[in-house]
Amino acid sequence: MANHRITIKLNDEFEMVDVPANMTLLQMLRDKLARTGTKNGCNAGECGACTVLLNGEPVNSCMVLAVECDGAEVITVEGLAKDGVLDPIQQAIMDHGGVQCGFCTPGILISAKALLDRDSNPSEETIREALVGNLCRCTGYLRIIDAVKDAASRQQALTN
Amino acid sequence: MTINAHPELPDFEYIRPVSLSEASRFLAEHAGEARPLLGGTDVFVRMRDGFWRDKYLVDVKNLDGTSELKFRETGDEKSPAGLTVGAAVNMNRVMLDKKVCERYLLLSEACRSVASYQLRTRATIAGNICNASPAGDTIGACLVLKAVLKIHGVNGYREEPLSTFFRGPGKTILQPGDIVTAVFFPSPPLKSAGTYIKLGRNTWSDLSIVGVTAYGYSVSKEQSTSQKSDGFNFRLALASVAPVPLIPEAAQEFLGENESGPEVFKEAAQMAADACTPIDDVRGSARYRKAMVRNLTERALLITWEKLNR
Amino acid sequence: MINEVAKFPIPHPVGDSVPRVDAREKVLGSALFADDLQFGPGLLYARIKRSDRPHALIKKIDTSKAAALPGVKAVVTGEDYAGMMGLYLRDRHIFCRDRVRYVGDPVAGVAAASEEIAENAVDLIEVEYEDLPGIFDPEYGATPDAPLLHPDLGNYEVANFIFPQPGTNISNHFRIRKGDVESAWSECAVIVERKYRIPHVQHVPIEPHVATARVEENGKVILWGSSQSPFAQRSLIAKTLGFSPSDVQVIAPYVGGGFGCKAGVSMEALAVAIAMKLKGRPIKLRLTREEEFFTAFVRQGVVAYFKMGCDADGRLLAMENRFYWDGGAYTEYGVNITRASGYSSSGPYNVPNVKTDSYCVYTNHPVGGPMRGFGMPEMHAGLEQCIDELAHAIKMDPVDFRKINCIKAGDTLVTGMKMHPTGLSECLVKAAQAINWGRKDPPSAPHKRRGKGLALMWKAPAMPPNAGSSAKIALNEDGTVTVSVGGQELGQGSFTIAAQIAAASLGVPADWVRVATPIDTNYSPYEWQTVASRLTWSMGNAVAAAGRDARKQILDMVAKAWQENPDDLDIIDGKVISYKSEETISLKNIVIYGIPLPDDQGWIGGPVLGRGNFMPSYVTGLDPETGQGQRAVVHYTVGAQAVEIEVDTITGKIDVLRGVAAFDVGKAINPDMVKAQMEGGFVQGLSTALFESLNLKEGFPQNTSFVDYRIATSSDVPRDIQAIIVEVPQDDGPWGARGIGEHAMVPTIPAIANAIYDAIGIRVGAPPYTSEKVFLAMQDAGLVK
Repeated sequence: MANHRITIKLNDEFEMVDVPANMTLLQMLRDKLARTGTKNGCNAGECGACTVLLNGEPVNSCMVLAVECDGAEVITVEGLAKDGVLDPIQQAIMDHGGVQCGFCTPGILISAKALLDRDSNPSEETIREALVGNLCRCTGYLRIIDAVKDAASRQQALTN
Repeated sequence: MTINAHPELPDFEYIRPVSLSEASRFLAEHAGEARPLLGGTDVFVRMRDGFWRDKYLVDVKNLDGTSELKFRETGDEKSPAGLTVGAAVNMNRVMLDKKVCERYLLLSEACRSVASYQLRTRATIAGNICNASPAGDTIGACLVLKAVLKIHGVNGYREEPLSTFFRGPGKTILQPGDIVTAVFFPSPPLKSAGTYIKLGRNTWSDLSIVGVTAYGYSVSKEQSTSQKSDGFNFRLALASVAPVPLIPEAAQEFLGENESGPEVFKEAAQMAADACTPIDDVRGSARYRKAMVRNLTERALLITWEKLNR
Repeated sequence: MINEVAKFPIPHPVGDSVPRVDAREKVLGSALFADDLQFGPGLLYARIKRSDRPHALIKKIDTSKAAALPGVKAVVTGEDYAGMMGLYLRDRHIFCRDRVRYVGDPVAGVAAASEEIAENAVDLIEVEYEDLPGIFDPEYGATPDAPLLHPDLGNYEVANFIFPQPGTNISNHFRIRKGDVESAWSECAVIVERKYRIPHVQHVPIEPHVATARVEENGKVILWGSSQSPFAQRSLIAKTLGFSPSDVQVIAPYVGGGFGCKAGVSMEALAVAIAMKLKGRPIKLRLTREEEFFTAFVRQGVVAYFKMGCDADGRLLAMENRFYWDGGAYTEYGVNITRASGYSSSGPYNVPNVKTDSYCVYTNHPVGGPMRGFGMPEMHAGLEQCIDELAHAIKMDPVDFRKINCIKAGDTLVTGMKMHPTGLSECLVKAAQAINWGRKDPPSAPHKRRGKGLALMWKAPAMPPNAGSSAKIALNEDGTVTVSVGGQELGQGSFTIAAQIAAASLGVPADWVRVATPIDTNYSPYEWQTVASRLTWSMGNAVAAAGRDARKQILDMVAKAWQENPDDLDIIDGKVISYKSEETISLKNIVIYGIPLPDDQGWIGGPVLGRGNFMPSYVTGLDPETGQGQRAVVHYTVGAQAVEIEVDTITGKIDVLRGVAAFDVGKAINPDMVKAQMEGGFVQGLSTALFESLNLKEGFPQNTSFVDYRIATSSDVPRDIQAIIVEVPQDDGPWGARGIGEHAMVPTIPAIANAIYDAIGIRVGAPPYTSEKVFLAMQDAGLVK
């Protein structure tokens, strides 16, 4: 099988990678680019542990081929904090005790960030719906939902 | 049988044609070992499970017209009035579009019921239709909205109404070389409303145990073929209760002949339940599904009627 | 044995909800899990050929095509590994040798240059089977007619508190004979007799199992893995493969969810076995999500018979239980669930006459192993419903019924042990209060029915009588403290607890304390396993002891330097202070370099290293015939949950509106983390109550992916889950603490079932209470059309 040479902007850097056709974006991130923050929980688009931003929108990276991402911008959990300063959603989820084993956390943070990017003041119902594709087995979700609400108000305060 | 999926996707070649002609030609030449690729959300799962082993995946996103999401208020014979949803337009884009929400809210609702936000960034209505699962969540809305598929094949473009598109679970009338480029929805009647009730195991996401689409619209005295005076006609579509997405014709007719109201809806709902042939499977039993078709059709009709009367 | 420190006012940060020590790494995405470890281009990948049928003899395995595939480095079968493995009963081989006993049983293994090649090679392995009749029901499996799944049961090495019945499929039979149940029935005003078939479920950690093994030329083994039990894995794998435990090094980074499935040994032995063929090469084995559902551990199903009776005043007089545990193909771990459920088989109640027969039965089903609750959720699912039924039968409120009968300090338990001080009554009252028991609010819509339900629970840590913990505390020259433990961080917060206890027992601020990670059996001090909700109590005691040890070394050194009495000194906020002379000195530097004598006349002290251990000394055996003994268990954590639900009569769907959890944790070392356990456990309990069941059809799992094995999502949880902490101290816990991790999910199934009954007057039976099950029950009862 031939390799495809692709270029992506990953967090703040440009990367050029040779990928086989059947390599997923998730595999490329973890195995070729050593960005292990994004996790593989099911490889079938169900659990959301692999969620990243692709051209600004959240996707299950296990369900996207690397070769489809030529020229794309990808943001992973490693790209959320800037110069050691946590993104409001990262800080909020910590403050609310919404992290236990931490395996679902990167995917949750990305989904939450994408939600706040498109809806700066989401209701509880909207938050629940936005996170329905991110499975968590440890926390019971409530603290995560509270954290997203809190992050929304922190973010609004920053922009005001 | 126990499904034990492979950890990775099997070997295949990724083809990205630059034109629809090239794409159709390639698909026809490699019939049986090539498949069009849109969002991939069905394809990748089936490939990992070992059900599909195509040698070529042909990426048809970014071809002519596939990224278009456009509503024409007025039209002519060449470009009729209505909504064109390009095959590559993802479900979130449809769900959130202003015009879709204004004129085809049912379609937005149907998209919203699918999986999760991140899955919908890749999932497409055309893909949902071509996958031809009786559980396809957007298919019911497309059927009641009288969707027409724009298809490009080895002989160029043609159109097919969605109502005759399905032949069985996973089977459609598409021929090798065919690519659905867009789904077209004619202008809806001025007064119309719809409801999609999806019964899953979880509150959101999940595949449907039963899915009921109800759509009501006003007809003028001249257009009406029946004796009833309230001027509403209804269309129904049922998911997960037959080998294909099912339109319960007798129930629809009954609704068209009789004054709308709770008793009529109840009877129509029973007819809809009688029309379906659900199976026992891991998601639900036939007995439960029949009861749910009855209950949820009644409910969907009541909700739709209430929306129409606002 | 009173914990010395408990005599004094409780030092910070014990009792403080300090932020988790691991949260920052986890939100940054830099926290390492086992699949994140980098091994370089030399890493090989393994895949496993698994049985595609539930019970068969292996006639022939042809690996030639697989071995010939370019990139394949090794192909192994059970022929290569004769050793048997097991925690409480050695009943399994690493790879099947003569027969397969469940769909998924490992038959062969491949190591190759990529996971893809390994998988392709696995597809080329040809196995010839001769099918054998299977056992798919544990009651049937326990009968003499059933085929024998383990003819050699009589020869298996077994722990002395497990009682297999050779010549049968019963790998453990635990008995309770307390009092005289037969006579007691005649004194009962009402008797309830029920059968519950509780289905299999799976733990569903979001991180699937992964293990990477490397066997060196010199015979040493390194195993990296997602593991709750590095030390147990070390000794079990060593024993099976003929290594010495000290030659096996297990390194375990953060675990992405365990819930018991990553305890003991499941797939890790496969990786080590394959690695033995490729000296010096690291081999990684990962389970797919599909494999995770049925090839590591599952929670055993059980067929449970309950019979219980009370007198006219509502006092429980007798209970008779029969549990047929569907142990699966190998019950090396599951046998103890049979025992643990047996010695707790009265539920958290004072019952003078109890007869229990708890059987662990071999079946051709996935391997039953430890899952959060270790038999308690499965048992309480039926038991707590029977209690409600008894209450209703004598027209007593279920809460009042429980108030009378719930276990209290001094009661004689089902094993003859005396109950220690406990807050169960308090938990019951508080939970009932918080849910507004007795008040029925109108439903939110005409087609809904509202109901409330409550259930109690108890559980003791299920472990051998000599399960030990140890800890080390090293002080660093910059003032920080490094605490080393063998207990694992699964998300429950054990590292934070270790840090808090270390800080409190030493006298330093919480944020001075680091936890040495990853757990590495070469460097970390021994911990039996991270299971049984035992860490806060057992590991906590060890850490506190290590802290006291370090503290003593420091105070002795400073006392000598100041020529004072160590009893007049203290460590507060990282400084040694003298109450007498009011001298102070920072811990910095002196904890490594010591303190110089005046006039350059030498030095006092040296590097401070505190050590501590804890192992209960008082657990006794139980009589094999009666299950009676002086002290069956170390202690019980008790609690209550209450729920308010609505039933949708159109669809049968259950909506949990509100949940309340009240547990007696002795002392909440970190109250917010305790509450987080209560919330998360409630939701996992809710998920098993409403959605979960691993469907097995003639031994074939039907729903081995998230498509059809559903768990609770963010859209399924109630807005309001109230967590109430009750604290009746445990005499030998650190500042009185005992565990909570498992207990939080034990009573949820019966609480919801009891609420369903309150809402629609129907007992829907065994979980999951899917919308279909509830609707069809309503239809059958004539409640809906």
